[in-house]
Amino acid sequence: MRDEYLLKLFSEENKPFALDELIVAEISGENFAGAIASSLLAELGAKVYRIEFEDDAKKISPFGVQIDGIGIPYFIETRNKEILKFDEKAKEIVQKADVVIDAMQPGFLDSIGIGYRQISEKNPRVIYAAISPYGHFTSKAEEFRNVPDSDLTAQAYNGYPTLIGNPFLTGKHSYPLRAGIWAAWIMAGANAAVAIMIALIERGKSRKGQFIDVATHDAIATITAFPYIVGFLFGKPRGRFGTIDYILYPFGYHKTKDGYVVIATPTDADFRALLKILGRWDLEPDWKFTLDRITDDVERIKILDDELNKTIQNFKTYDLIKRARKTRKIPILGKILGRFLGEPVIVKINTLQEVLKDEHWWIRKSFIKVKIDGKNVLIPNVAFKMSETPPRVLKVLKGQL
Amino acid sequence: MTGYFDFIKNLIKNGEKREEPLKGVKVVEITHFIFGPNIGRILAQFGAEVVKIETPGEGDRFRLGTVFGRFYRHSNLIYAVLNTNKYFVAADARNAKAREIIFELARRSDVFVENLRAGLVDTMGIGYQQIRAVNPKIIYVSCSGYGQFGPLSKTPSFDVAAQGVSSLAMKTGWEDVDEFYKLPDYFGDFLPSMLAILAILAALYYREKTGKGQYIDISQTESLLRFLYDITYFSITGKEIGKTGNIDPTASPSGIFKTSDGKFVAISIVTEKQFEAIASVVGFDDSKKKDRFSMDVIKELNEKLEKWVEKKNLKEILEIAKEKGFPAAQVLDDLEVFKDPWRRERGSIVEVQDRFLGKVQVPGPFAIFSSTPGKIKWLARPVGYHNRLILKRWLNLSDEEIEKLEKDGAIGYWDEMPGTSPPPTWNKDDEVFRGEKDEG
Repeated sequence: MRDEYLLKLFSEENKPFALDELIVAEISGENFAGAIASSLLAELGAKVYRIEFEDDAKKISPFGVQIDGIGIPYFIETRNKEILKFDEKAKEIVQKADVVIDAMQPGFLDSIGIGYRQISEKNPRVIYAAISPYGHFTSKAEEFRNVPDSDLTAQAYNGYPTLIGNPFLTGKHSYPLRAGIWAAWIMAGANAAVAIMIALIERGKSRKGQFIDVATHDAIATITAFPYIVGFLFGKPRGRFGTIDYILYPFGYHKTKDGYVVIATPTDADFRALLKILGRWDLEPDWKFTLDRITDDVERIKILDDELNKTIQNFKTYDLIKRARKTRKIPILGKILGRFLGEPVIVKINTLQEVLKDEHWWIRKSFIKVKIDGKNVLIPNVAFKMSETPPRVLKVLKGQL
Repeated sequence: MTGYFDFIKNLIKNGEKREEPLKGVKVVEITHFIFGPNIGRILAQFGAEVVKIETPGEGDRFRLGTVFGRFYRHSNLIYAVLNTNKYFVAADARNAKAREIIFELARRSDVFVENLRAGLVDTMGIGYQQIRAVNPKIIYVSCSGYGQFGPLSKTPSFDVAAQGVSSLAMKTGWEDVDEFYKLPDYFGDFLPSMLAILAILAALYYREKTGKGQYIDISQTESLLRFLYDITYFSITGKEIGKTGNIDPTASPSGIFKTSDGKFVAISIVTEKQFEAIASVVGFDDSKKKDRFSMDVIKELNEKLEKWVEKKNLKEILEIAKEKGFPAAQVLDDLEVFKDPWRRERGSIVEVQDRFLGKVQVPGPFAIFSSTPGKIKWLARPVGYHNRLILKRWLNLSDEEIEKLEKDGAIGYWDEMPGTSPPPTWNKDDEVFRGEKDEG
């Protein structure tokens, strides 16, 4: 019933876009944080012109794989956009746009007469979002203005890779480790899109635009707050913690007989329920409270981790999931004591192929099939649903949707 | 370009400042942990009036979720930061009177945010249809692991679960070690929360033009899938990219290397121009440029680069990167991030004088705005701390009516657990607590 109602509510037919009539000029070269910011706006219906000086970005792709001469990230992040070479006409679009996204080298657009100080003189309503490694002000930003951006370098300066990896490994495996997606570029792109929307809402009242500065080298840390809080509270870094979490245990990945599961027990009740499921009540007295399971000492928590892993490896994935589900289905007792009964979260870790086979995502239209030369190419769909103004992908550079 | 950086600096420091962008926007949230709370945090930093409803006693369970169990003056600093500038009301949803209060607050709001298990709000009588019936302009946001409909919708989730279910989990790790690692610091909460804010602001923008509210369904897993380019890679090649250690398969060479002074530096060569720039100093063979994206060639180039890096100190490498123009940056740890002078100059970290916590250093706004900068006005307050202020201001209740609600167990306050309660030095003679004065 609920599903049917929601499917109807979120239908996309004959609905407007939230950002109809908004003109966005994106000039971001090979910096995909800029391309991501504008594609999020393009999904919401903004008219986005991607203006290019060179076509370097087109070639960037995992292991160089191309779709008809176009790299995968470029193919995905040019959705709903119009691509223009930089010329007089494009320049005019930049000067008149509601929003300008500048992810070029800081100061470059200014040097050719279309930076914020020139555009805002003629068009004070412009919202100008600059995206760069260290921003468009501060002494460091100026000193490093010639150093181009990349996701990996941005992850590094956010302090992200020093948190990833197994603390018990040595040699090169003890090096800081990269997050396996463009974590910094994605977060910076999302941050810029949010900042632009805040400025846009404000412009509705003041009739004035403004300058926004997003630094990819700080995009993750400022949002998550963790490195700052840890620095302030402890005066020392956390380091690598493997699949263990800094706040809760268990809250990570474990190997089963036939695969991997995520186990999360955010409360003591959840932990107790987990011990019951695993038949390891013997561990309860020593590890009863969240505070007993604090992970500040990896050697100590490893004792519990090893014990649990030994047991978890004897279970099949679906058996564990079934047992966890059962803890949530004690009808009468559940009603009375609902929130005091533990419910460990246990879910299967999927391979990508398993994700693509799961009907849940197809019902939700989480992927889009694009037909290119008779072959189906899959791309990710938009991230969220809106009932009145659904974000959508209307066109891609090649092929039929 | 003369003076460009100074011009921007001056604009940010001395340019025209205007009223808070989201002033007048009323938000009610029933949220816990990170995904939901971070939404209200950002909206409140830009002027929205955000009321967070918690269960009396323990409140949001994340109040106890401290890093390594460390509290600061009875407070969880992470919780305090993720709930800046909010008003805290504690109403027990198991109590019918409390549900009425929650309903009344929700009907007066512009935006309602929840991240309870999918469908639970309907049972509580505060679902989208129920609120919309009395407030058609409502922008109602449901945050979940897998979305509000579909076979997985009722499955419980956390960041780490969404990373596993989306297959993202399997992408981070060493090629030759049978382990993989999650993206740290709750990426699967923070990214979807930013996308939820984007959706809310787009809905507000649309409502401004049309007067229409709407329902937003956002999930952790779909937010991660949106940027999993591996989906497309797999559909073309039939292969999964999987773990690639420190190699970014879109950049060659790319990796994290150790310098002669024992520091770590990330170098990632994205474009041909950058390749030419670094090739000239490291001595890469020009013929490698063409097929530099095959795994073998990336590894070959990385080996050469590694040897080059280990003979130079960090400063020298960064100087060369500046001069030649290729991406390179130091790999920082938590403490280096916290102490970084650039971040202090930029305003990424700010010192706040909080009435409860004293002087603390916390992250500043997520982006720098020239005319409407985000503000950290106060950090989280104890459970139910603003009961009186909000029930008077939003619902016009009298002190007597509020006391009756307290006696009936509909609303309540903190228990004595750290994280939920005020610091021991708190003076009960507090006008804000009594609802006679606003924060600030």
